[in-house]
Amino acid sequence: MDGPAEITELLSRCALRDRQAFGELYRRTSAKLFGVTLRILRDRSEAEEALQEVYVKIWQRADRFVAGGYSPISWLVAVARNHSLDILRARRPQSEDIDVALEVADTAPDPERAAVESGERSRIESCLSELDTDKADAVRGAYLDGYSYEELATRHSVPLNTMRTWLRRSLLKLRECLSA
Amino acid sequence: MSDENISTGSSSEEDHVLVAEYVLGLLAPAEHAEVGARIAIEPSLMAEQRLWRLRLAALDREFADVPAPAGVLGRVETRLFGRSEAGGFWNSLALWRSIAAGGVAVAAIAIGFNVLTPRVDPKLFAEQLVAALQEEGSGVSFVALYDPTTASVRLTALSGAEVPDKDYELWAIEGGSAPISMGVIPVTSRIDIKITPQVLAGFGEGTVLAVTLEQKGGSPTGAPQGPIVAKGAATLI
Repeated sequence: MDGPAEITELLSRCALRDRQAFGELYRRTSAKLFGVTLRILRDRSEAEEALQEVYVKIWQRADRFVAGGYSPISWLVAVARNHSLDILRARRPQSEDIDVALEVADTAPDPERAAVESGERSRIESCLSELDTDKADAVRGAYLDGYSYEELATRHSVPLNTMRTWLRRSLLKLRECLSA
Repeated sequence: MSDENISTGSSSEEDHVLVAEYVLGLLAPAEHAEVGARIAIEPSLMAEQRLWRLRLAALDREFADVPAPAGVLGRVETRLFGRSEAGGFWNSLALWRSIAAGGVAVAAIAIGFNVLTPRVDPKLFAEQLVAALQEEGSGVSFVALYDPTTASVRLTALSGAEVPDKDYELWAIEGGSAPISMGVIPVTSRIDIKITPQVLAGFGEGTVLAVTLEQKGGSPTGAPQGPIVAKGAATLI
């Protein structure tokens, strides 16, 4: 993965419809994003299909990143992660087939971002470490593996509602720590 | 113990948890959509979402790189830029050629505007440059035709509405250079824009025309400040 400044520049050029920049962006970031879709979807051909859709979205929405101001790699991962989660959500039994809009960070610029980012990693780690190990694992499992409450409950061998209660409480605790 | 029993206290705490669940992707489809819709209109929830995204993004490093299968980029590019049949309406060279070749009346009526002037010789037109300016979600689109005989661009608004206290401004982006203003443009009528020598020098296939929404009278700095609402590259037809 290359530096954020280079990825940002490639994304900006994509927003101006520079196809060459798009190819370059793909070459530099596709391994990361394939890692995301594969980890969440756990099926190579589905992950490949998803990767294709993800890059279509990236091209179509590149200008939203430029207008947004957000770590470019986080933004790309968010597109891949949200797309993969949409697929999972649509597949789950209780699914009501609602078309969920892609939610990526077209948010206001955050001037503190660059300064903050380097500290984020240790911060989330230290806040997660304040939780019980299995609860921290559940948060990670939801974020990194796209596990649902049902899957988390099965993996941790607790009833569904217990898992839900645990995790919700853990999230509040985590928030308190993260915003301190 | 059921989830109804959680003592989350204030409703804002409840919202904090909901947004965290939303960002993590834990909500069922209907609830996910509902929370997403609330976030879009409630600034406090939007800030909450930003907090979670930014903080959790620190975990992104744990996604291991896995080389993507060969052929994905090719398929994406075909889909996005495709050959004429795959490129959709705007990228369809066949469509532009058919307009140029005399399907003018039908095509122009179909989109509600007289895109071409009847006096243009089809052969000449066939060597002209055209750009379709659009942007997903903006609702504003233009078609631009470059007429080399007059060194002007005829810009026709296909869709879009005036915005109070704002003006649309047209820019030319040539190669890697900074955008050059081509002036404020109307969104409700057609306009012929004489191309200045500065723009003309680099004007040709691949020149990107972009429309931004600027303060009344256009950007005061000479550089675009507002959001891009439509853009497209000039293509030879």
